[in-house]
Amino acid sequence: MELVPVAIAALSALLSVVATYLAVRSRDMLSAAVFSAAQSTAYALIYYVLMAPDIVLVYVPVSVGILPAVTVLLIKKTERYER
Amino acid sequence: MNAREVAIATSITLMIVLLAYVIEAGGLGPIAPEKLRELAASYIISTYNPWNITHSAQSLEAVTAIVWDYRGLDTFFETSVLFISIVGVALLFRGYREKTGVGGRGLSEIVKTSTKILAPLILIAGISIAIHGHLTPGGGFQGGSFIAVLLVLLSVVFSLDFVVERGLSTSRLLTLRSIGLMGVFATSIALLLVGLVTGVSAYVFQNMVREGAPVSMPPWFLDRPTGGTLLFFNVFEALAVATGLSLAFIVLSLRREEVEEALERGEWYE
Repeated sequence: MELVPVAIAALSALLSVVATYLAVRSRDMLSAAVFSAAQSTAYALIYYVLMAPDIVLVYVPVSVGILPAVTVLLIKKTERYER
Repeated sequence: MNAREVAIATSITLMIVLLAYVIEAGGLGPIAPEKLRELAASYIISTYNPWNITHSAQSLEAVTAIVWDYRGLDTFFETSVLFISIVGVALLFRGYREKTGVGGRGLSEIVKTSTKILAPLILIAGISIAIHGHLTPGGGFQGGSFIAVLLVLLSVVFSLDFVVERGLSTSRLLTLRSIGLMGVFATSIALLLVGLVTGVSAYVFQNMVREGAPVSMPPWFLDRPTGGTLLFFNVFEALAVATGLSLAFIVLSLRREEVEEALERGEWYE
């Protein structure tokens, strides 16, 4: 079963690439923020698999919780759609 | 059920099963190298070593020992940088006044009820991560950001008015933030002051007994190791980070009626 952690890391990395592409391509800033949070979730999984639980504990609240919240606030105060 | 739905269901199930395995395995042995470099080995040997206290931090968690003891000065300046950036955010909006009753009253009853169930769990997890920073993965910054997420969640789900009415106004958050930073500062020079008073030599950021500096923080509380300064650093850092991050969020989310005065003053400066 030594392959499982490597498989998890590879799947998460693949997921993060897809999420990053969607975040960059998206014209709707709100969905871009959600895709960016999905990419952060995948990164948190990779950190966990690579045995860095300290980083996971700081990465999850900051980049999945607070960063999207601040981004959504900024979108609310400016414009939602990119022209 | 078409092929697409089957593929989606299969991949989700596979992901959940693999994740369950990963979490059950708890840290994953196979990826860890069996041979350590000398630096890593020396940290692991000296992090908790009651037979050689002059080189030890008496903390069971190596990362926290490195962050707050061996490399404490770096972390102190990181905390200061975060403090300065939050002061910058507050300064950008100077002249704002918090008002109640200008916005909505939060989200629907379903969201409020589920948040009521979640809120104590997040709070307890944050506090536990912070005060067990020297025993388990985590520490002050991690615990503090958990609590900050809780405050952000409350201000979104129950509205800003709710948070302000419960006494967490921005000025009070800034006061608590300063108390946290002063606590970190006081902990870092505590043993130096003790040394000055009793007439023995001591270092800034000293934790345990060192050669030529016989003062020490208490390494045990009853039968539990405290890691000396690490416990105090983690508690004060958690306070500073939780209030600081939520302060930045609340200031950024102020409504138009509250920042009108600040906007006018900005125009007056121009």
